[in-house]
Amino acid sequence: MYSASLFGVISRIVIDTATAEDVLQDTFVKIWNSFGSYSAEKGRLFTWMVNIARNLSIDKLRSKDFKNQNKNQELENNVTFIDEQRNTVYKPELLGIKDLVESLKPEHKSILDLVYFKGYTHVEAADELGVPLGTIKTRLRMAIVQLRKYFN
Amino acid sequence: MRVEDIKAYIESGILELYVLGDVSHEEKLEVEAMAAKHPAIKAELEEIEKSLQSYADANAVEPAENLRDKILNSLVTNLADDRIFNTKEEEKPEAGVVEMSNPRQVTVYKYAFAACFVLLIVSVAALINAYRQIDQSDTLIASLQSQNQRIANTVSFKDHELEILHDASFRMVKLQGTKKSPSSSLMVAFSPAKKKVMIDMADANMPANDKDHQYQLWALVGGKPVSLGVFDADTTSKDMKEMESIASADAFAVTLEKRGGSPTPTMDEMMVLGKF
Repeated sequence: MYSASLFGVISRIVIDTATAEDVLQDTFVKIWNSFGSYSAEKGRLFTWMVNIARNLSIDKLRSKDFKNQNKNQELENNVTFIDEQRNTVYKPELLGIKDLVESLKPEHKSILDLVYFKGYTHVEAADELGVPLGTIKTRLRMAIVQLRKYFN
Repeated sequence: MRVEDIKAYIESGILELYVLGDVSHEEKLEVEAMAAKHPAIKAELEEIEKSLQSYADANAVEPAENLRDKILNSLVTNLADDRIFNTKEEEKPEAGVVEMSNPRQVTVYKYAFAACFVLLIVSVAALINAYRQIDQSDTLIASLQSQNQRIANTVSFKDHELEILHDASFRMVKLQGTKKSPSSSLMVAFSPAKKKVMIDMADANMPANDKDHQYQLWALVGGKPVSLGVFDADTTSKDMKEMESIASADAFAVTLEKRGGSPTPTMDEMMVLGKF
């Protein structure tokens, strides 16, 4: 029941669909094996699961195999590849609900997506966007506040 | 903590980072402690989690149909894999939890220790007992050895006596009591060939001498007395005594002299006399 939501997060970090499927499988195996360490008092199950999914996705991105695979890309393809890797504008099929996107201010959304969907830490996001850390935190909070308003 | 402080904490943005898993271990513990203490913070966390979950749901991507089966299969395979349970056990001890040692094991060690201690005491007691017995045996062996020595001495002495009695060259002379001591008597064995003189205390009947005096044996050779040595007499002495040697004698006599003997016999003190 969570698989689609988790796959959504994984797919945005690991662009390649086949790799994303591998990561999703790893995620469920890890959830299954370490379920004993989940504590309901410390938060919602989904939060715990999505953090596992995100960490595994980032591990995959940084793994030797994946990097080597990237090195084998043709030079001409590199431009589009990098664009794909860094983009925060979704592929059409990954686009969420239209009015939700519209309800988020672009600067809020970009930070939220970097951290939530791209697995950046807020420090990395500050670097990437060239924004002070404090601003990142504020914007991140504002983005989530807007989400709350939207979903309630 | 005041309400404003809680509000400031919420607005600092740390809760969002916590939900996103983007905090250090210390910060994580701090947020969890705060959430446990302040319901407002816990509620805020809940809201953040809910909205992010909704956001993820809104951005959900349905995985391919065949992926579901693939994943379920891998879970089933993993379920059958013993290593999973091992991994689980390894993950069990959490930070700050001191694992209790197995009480059963402790009891086993306790009993083992008690058993060892009892065994030690028993061993020491047995050792002491054995040592005592060895000591007793040693004493017994020593006494038996000395007894054996005495018997051997006696036997060799009796052999010697028998030798004398069986020796044809020995002649027995019985010295009879004189007027001074009519009841006294003494056996003297004399072998002129071997120049040996023996007195037999077992067959003697002499009054015991005191500390200051000793009996002296004389041989009369051509009317002249020759000293053959001194001896003591008491009721317990039963051995044969070899005296000084002499080649020939006409008669033997015993006088009571001062201790150590005299160069010439005191005729008044002659106790026994016998002619050869």
